[in-house]
Amino acid sequence: MPIEPCAEAPSVGSAERLELFRLVLLQRLFEDRVMALYRQGRVPGSVYTGRGQEAVAAGAGLALGPDDVVAPLNRELACHFARGATTADVFRNFFGKATSPTFGRDGNMHFGAPERGVFPLVSMLGDLVPLVTGAALAFKRRGQRRVALTFLGEGAFSVGDTHEGLNLAAVWQVPVVFVIQANRYSYSTPVARQMVNTNIAQRIYGGWSIPAERVDGTDALAVFDTVRAAVERARNGNGPQAVEALSVRMDGHAAHDDSRYVPAGMREEFAERFDPVDRLAARLSLDGLDTETIDELRAAAAAEIATGLAEAEQAPVPDPETIEHGVYAAPPFG
Amino acid sequence: MSTGHLEAPSAPAGATPAGEITYLEAIRAALQDAMREDDRVFLLGEDIGVFGGAFGVTAGLLDEFGEARVMDTPISEEGFVGAAIGAAWMGERPVVELQFADFITCAFDPIVTVAAKTHWRSGQAIPITIRCPTGGGVRGGPFHAGSPEGWFVGTAGLKIVCPGTVSDAYGLLRAAIEDPDPVLYFEHKRLYRTLRAAQPSPEHRTPIGPAAIARAGTDATVVTYGSGVTTALAAAERVDADVEIVDLRTIWPLDEETILASVEKTSRVLVLQEASRSTGAAGAILSLLARRSFEHLDAPPALHAPPDTPVPFAPELEDAYMPSAASTLAALDRLLAY
Repeated sequence: MPIEPCAEAPSVGSAERLELFRLVLLQRLFEDRVMALYRQGRVPGSVYTGRGQEAVAAGAGLALGPDDVVAPLNRELACHFARGATTADVFRNFFGKATSPTFGRDGNMHFGAPERGVFPLVSMLGDLVPLVTGAALAFKRRGQRRVALTFLGEGAFSVGDTHEGLNLAAVWQVPVVFVIQANRYSYSTPVARQMVNTNIAQRIYGGWSIPAERVDGTDALAVFDTVRAAVERARNGNGPQAVEALSVRMDGHAAHDDSRYVPAGMREEFAERFDPVDRLAARLSLDGLDTETIDELRAAAAAEIATGLAEAEQAPVPDPETIEHGVYAAPPFG
Repeated sequence: MSTGHLEAPSAPAGATPAGEITYLEAIRAALQDAMREDDRVFLLGEDIGVFGGAFGVTAGLLDEFGEARVMDTPISEEGFVGAAIGAAWMGERPVVELQFADFITCAFDPIVTVAAKTHWRSGQAIPITIRCPTGGGVRGGPFHAGSPEGWFVGTAGLKIVCPGTVSDAYGLLRAAIEDPDPVLYFEHKRLYRTLRAAQPSPEHRTPIGPAAIARAGTDATVVTYGSGVTTALAAAERVDADVEIVDLRTIWPLDEETILASVEKTSRVLVLQEASRSTGAAGAILSLLARRSFEHLDAPPALHAPPDTPVPFAPELEDAYMPSAASTLAALDRLLAY
């Protein structure tokens, strides 16, 4: 079956289309590179990718305004790039370097840039739902036209924190957007074993009265358009919003996971028709972008990754003497 | 969580003398003064608005500050503690009221997983204060009378304060709200209306960290905190020796040097706490004493604390469970006779 191009999406401008392509490419090529480094034994810990979900990360990341805040998970590398992270920042975090966003204290996708409005990932599912709701509460208290956004997967809908956060967001009517990464698996557990009603948008609207819509999570233009509209509704005082983005996780949960639990053929078929990077490339071709330009964009992304990698490899490793530094912002005994 | 209808014990009949306030009023005054001085400070918790809180601590604050700063929340400790962390990330200074300290179990995850670790791993400060009405002696039983502070002792990134006086109730809360780190503030329910003292000035702060010498002495040291301070002072008046009392005020991180200096002077030490014996701050203190006071001790370090059970309900059981002045006196006598 041939690749399905992204839907036409005339409301998405040409600069935005190119930026979305840059973002999904960066995520795809970065993750390919870091996975190769991991297989070579050059990355401690593990590697988590968002292969198949890049359109959600890029679309939602680009939908935010400059003063908005976001708490990404580990499938949303493109969102970090949209918010200003460099490839060197991310490599440094994977390598555990002293100058990584977490000073070598956390690894892989567990990083943020709190001062730039990106909260560092917390592994426990659901924790970020009340957290971004509280950030949005601060915006509402201050009368600021800012929006907070987080991502959550199907697994998070089995966690009480998610319910509490959605409920608080609805009761308080704060400017927050929840983007659901519906990728069909929570680690190895298929969605049907997480919940009975797998229509999460319906549950969010029916259960918490938060407006929610479904979008094709492999179509970067559609995700961007839909999340942008949700962000603007939230910004304009219409309370919390949700978008359920449907996709497939094309890799295992992490590098060690060969995802033997996924039915044979499912991912191949998905890759053939719905790979989000190829879908957007196909749309850009239909838009009239020539193959040469598309190849140049790929080469530019690859070069950005190579430069970041070289920079990160030169970065200093952390000094064990500093482990106890920074436990407190104000240490009680100096 | 269900709310009990617990009445904190009142002091003997008689109006509070002019210029004096209760421990509870000191907490309210600290909230009020902090909110007047800093518009980033706001309160959130269950039934703290119109109702004024289960113990009345926030009574009247809704009228002065309005619903945007005195926020009644749904019953969701995990959720609103998490939300407070998010607001703190945005530069606010939220003060959370847990209706009972026992309910902190519901919020363990955002406190330990998120608030405590964020600065160390990202450089982002999380200035939240969580008020925890703690302790027994109020016939609250297993879910409304516990002293759960011990679960957090040793958790990097958290500060834990336990005022045992009116002055510290005010001063530690002001310091906690101004502090850039997450602070758990354990206010003792039995002290709410039984302690009264001169009203602290709005400038008064009790620094987070340093312990205080609540009573100077030479023959033995009692290391304690929270409700233990009053209990130890009463026992010290009756014991046939000159007892020094270290009021920790902050139980994490521990003021190790003040404890060690006192024990070096007295050579005998009793650790007194209301948390069951294998929880609380006692383990950390006894470990410190074993490691660093061994050569100064004339007797094994003693521990006076309740048994390792939940807090029982029946008056006969709870009274036996709680350390009292009489039982502390007996523990001191044993220590001094060794």
